[in-house]
Amino acid sequence: MKIKAEKEFWSGLMFLAFAVVAIVMSRGYSLGRAGQMGPGYFPLALGVLLAFLGAITISQSFVKEGEKLDALRLGPLLTTALSVVLFGLLIEVAGLVISVALVIAILGIGLRSATWLELTALTVGLIVFAIAVFVFALQLPLPIWPTV
Amino acid sequence: MDVFSNIALGFHVALSLQNIGYCFIGVLLGTVVGVLPGIGPVTTVAMLLPISFTLTPESALIMLAGIYYGAQYGGSTTAILVNIPGEASSVVTTIDGHKMAGLGRAGPALGIAAIGSFFAGCTSTLLISFAAPPLAAVALKFGPSEYFSLMVCGLIAAIVLARGSVVKAIAMVVIGLLLGIAGTDINSGIRRFTFDFRGLADGIEFVALSMGIYGLADVAYNLQKTEEKAGLVHEIGRIWPSWADLKLSTPSILRGTALGSILGVLPGGGALLAAFAAYTLEKKVAKPPRHFGEGDIRGVAAPEAANNAGAQTSFIPMLTLGIPSNPTMALMIGALMIHGISPGPGVMNERPEMFWGIIASMWIGNLMLVILNLPLVGLWVKLLSVPYRLLFPAIIVFCCIGTYAVNRNPFDMYVMAFAAVFGYLCLKLDCEPAPLILGFVLGPMMEENLRRTLLLSRGDVSILVTEPISLGFLIISALLLLVVAAPFIRRKREEALRE
Repeated sequence: MKIKAEKEFWSGLMFLAFAVVAIVMSRGYSLGRAGQMGPGYFPLALGVLLAFLGAITISQSFVKEGEKLDALRLGPLLTTALSVVLFGLLIEVAGLVISVALVIAILGIGLRSATWLELTALTVGLIVFAIAVFVFALQLPLPIWPTV
Repeated sequence: MDVFSNIALGFHVALSLQNIGYCFIGVLLGTVVGVLPGIGPVTTVAMLLPISFTLTPESALIMLAGIYYGAQYGGSTTAILVNIPGEASSVVTTIDGHKMAGLGRAGPALGIAAIGSFFAGCTSTLLISFAAPPLAAVALKFGPSEYFSLMVCGLIAAIVLARGSVVKAIAMVVIGLLLGIAGTDINSGIRRFTFDFRGLADGIEFVALSMGIYGLADVAYNLQKTEEKAGLVHEIGRIWPSWADLKLSTPSILRGTALGSILGVLPGGGALLAAFAAYTLEKKVAKPPRHFGEGDIRGVAAPEAANNAGAQTSFIPMLTLGIPSNPTMALMIGALMIHGISPGPGVMNERPEMFWGIIASMWIGNLMLVILNLPLVGLWVKLLSVPYRLLFPAIIVFCCIGTYAVNRNPFDMYVMAFAAVFGYLCLKLDCEPAPLILGFVLGPMMEENLRRTLLLSRGDVSILVTEPISLGFLIISALLLLVVAAPFIRRKREEALRE
């Protein structure tokens, strides 16, 4: 059999993956019964429904002509995701100033889009703005400097 | 209380110095993100949710609402002048608006867009103040079974009106529902789908999820395209349209307002659908000679009126039923919940000052927008010269700081990164994220209402179809699904929703 609609096929597979996780995990919670729904009842029902929808989507991808999946370009995605994770790892230890500077540095190196001068100006601008808005105006207790 | 004393109460709230200020910030930011392509009202509202945390609920919602309808104004400016729709809902405005600019009539196009938007904004706000109280009164009588079926109906309608495959959209809703119920189950205390992460014990943080999906995934998606060069910016010239223009456009503005107001109320409706539908209607019913596609002023007036009317009336289901009709409204519900207000028909009675304050602020906001947009239009166009390579690091940094500020929990960053990857995959696979966000917000409410329904009926599911109101909602949902499944209508729908 030939896949006629790549996007449909992979979407269906993604739905199935979610469904399997939902079904397997909700079996670990007590099911109860309809009149006394346990914590596993609703998620199991949703999981079964999702599996059904995933199966439909996959089977359609063999029948109906559809779009090809264009190439994934993981570079920008991973750089974005990594910079966010890095921010999470750093913020409580290193504080706002260093975290923001490092995030922008990673984005700048990873995507090679702006000049160093632009990135430096952007970093300074964003840090000043963020501190002015979040810390001074809104009084949110964000760590600014590293905690020693 | 009658409507007028309510409106008076609303103005009393909205005209306080503080709320005027937040309203202004909202519409100003809305205009800015409306002008800038690549960042929309959903992302902006998500980024400002943490900020709204520190305000009173009135001020927070007034500001967030301003962003949403303000973006409708800003989007039209770039659509007309440079042929780039700043917002999806102003895509149709580019058709005739940019042609008008090419003919040296950019000024009147901008003028009529602002006049149409202003008229539509004011009229539909009036509509909200008359329609909301009776609707909320009816909804207050709803029991759990009615509520459950209403939510099913709302979700189905949102799917039917969304673009793309219906099966995929339903699947996205289900994934949203599943993500929504992750965390500690309120009834049993059992932690569901937390993978033993302590950070997930209170569920998935809504701000992190929506910023990942709407903010970061969009950034990653935009970054792989080459940077769009802003085209030729046309001379603006005289802004005030001539009497002939006004006379020609008046019926179109009225039709656009009416259509937009109706479509805005529907789940899944709102500004985008309204603008498309209004343009399609105009092409059919406008008085000849018609020059649509070649710079007909009515092709600007009608969709601009409609998208603003739709943006305004999409607040009705959110404020009266607690059911979001689009992702922005889902975020508003999130904002209410941050303030400990459970959205639903009770809000109007329990917090009349907030409810009517928001409505009154919409009039004030619309007035501010006209003033902001017409004389300052040149300034907004300059914003387009901000290159994306500088904009995107700023978006990412604000998503990080904003999400962190909500709970001061670094774990939310990892959730956000995960949501970004997932959101990017969804974009690549043509799976609309909007149904997922709606499902996420409604997940816990749906489970709770289903649980109560079945508890009352002792496990008998048939109660959902024996109670007349509940049955009514389910019949509407079934009809909607049947309608989309019918081949003829499916073709029409694909045509209508195609960009």
